[in-house]
Amino acid sequence: MTTSSVATEAAAVAAPVFSPKDFKSSLKPIWCPGCGDFGVLQGIYRALAAIGRPSHEIAFISGIGCSSRIPGYTTAYGFNSVHGRALPIAQGLKLANPDLLVLVAGGDGDGFSIGGGHVAHAIRRNQDLTYLVMDNQIYGLTKGQLSPTSRKGLHTVTSAYGSLENPVNPLMYVMGYGAAFVAQGTPADIPGLAAMIEEAIRFPGFAFVNIQSPCVTYGEPDQQIKVHKKVMKRLEDLGHDSSDRVQAFDRAQSYGSELLTGVFFRDPDPPPTYGSLIRARKQELMASAPRREDILDMFVQD
Amino acid sequence: MSSTTGIDFSTLSLRDALDLAVLIEEEARDRYEEFAEQLELHHTPEAAKFFREMAGNEEKHRSQLAARRRISFGGEASTVTRAMIFDVEAPDYDEARAFMTVRSALEAAMRAEEKAYDFFAAAIPNVQDDEVRSLFEELRDEETEHKRMVAEQLEKAPADPEIDEEAFGDDPVSH
Repeated sequence: MTTSSVATEAAAVAAPVFSPKDFKSSLKPIWCPGCGDFGVLQGIYRALAAIGRPSHEIAFISGIGCSSRIPGYTTAYGFNSVHGRALPIAQGLKLANPDLLVLVAGGDGDGFSIGGGHVAHAIRRNQDLTYLVMDNQIYGLTKGQLSPTSRKGLHTVTSAYGSLENPVNPLMYVMGYGAAFVAQGTPADIPGLAAMIEEAIRFPGFAFVNIQSPCVTYGEPDQQIKVHKKVMKRLEDLGHDSSDRVQAFDRAQSYGSELLTGVFFRDPDPPPTYGSLIRARKQELMASAPRREDILDMFVQD
Repeated sequence: MSSTTGIDFSTLSLRDALDLAVLIEEEARDRYEEFAEQLELHHTPEAAKFFREMAGNEEKHRSQLAARRRISFGGEASTVTRAMIFDVEAPDYDEARAFMTVRSALEAAMRAEEKAYDFFAAAIPNVQDDEVRSLFEELRDEETEHKRMVAEQLEKAPADPEIDEEAFGDDPVSH
């Protein structure tokens, strides 16, 4: 932890100040040099520093894949779990310990193929989670097979004659299920990405950030960081109104043809989180619940 | 392509200009250190060694600029933050490659120095303060010197072996 250089008595009791390096673990990333996930990781460090909570109050849950190694590269609690199951595990964790800041990370295959069924339920349950998907449009860890977001016609080791399938549009997918915070970023703009992740974390409820993170080894040349820098368009520069769900849907249709970055949709009136509903239900039931000392009497006959 | 956010060069003070220069060197140092770590892990020791040296150079420049800032402005609070700059002198993240040659590493460094030169050259016409302009001209000229030094090393660097990079990839089975 980096504390203020002016170590006055007041500063000693003030909230601690964190630097991005406070969230960097001693484990060195083994991603291929040039991988987009390096930049994403920097964005995460910056966002966590801005949030200002110590590592022991943060948990990072992931599935399987290159990007799912991220928890190990942070100083937060981490669980590199099983393929496609990061969201259920994160939901259980948040339910058990609502005070934890819970982040979920994974790739497009983990999130929208093997774990695709969990996304809908995480959204409708609306637990206060931040879900970061490193969308590289390929299965990179297993050496370049088609993933759910691979573009139609793509030649890979599993589509020698070109893919016949349309890709999943992650933005439309989550908005279709009613996600209240939906954003898209790229490591070609780390400050923008960090701000977006911070905003997602601060959002009260399920927040989804699709990060187009290029695979340097199996990705297409036009999906690399240098190209992102040239073609990306910031939603704020387009006059996008992120409180307008219909406009967000409209812009999200450009996934795969344009790289739009920023917050597509942020519900101006966020729905209650599952955690707040649980607390309310508990309070409601507690009012008519028998006293603890009376419960035994109910089972003990004279 | 480098970028800055929220910096108005027409009103930039000398203190903030020095802070900006420090942050630019710091970003480049951190990136080169990252590249060195990545390449050490991926069995590319020669390029890693070069990136380590570049990180050392950037740190030297950073500390010199930080000392000038301290002497002129002491502990005055800074209004410039790292979030306001991106990839000014740091090589782009996708410049690193496993098994890259020293020549490729030098070429990546050259592109980074060119970016930094372009950044200061583009900013100067917008600067109003004479001291800031003078600082930026000095920094732009330093980038010219850095480019010359990298170019010298490039001349001495052995040519890349003629290897088809595609040979390292897994192509579709039918191709």
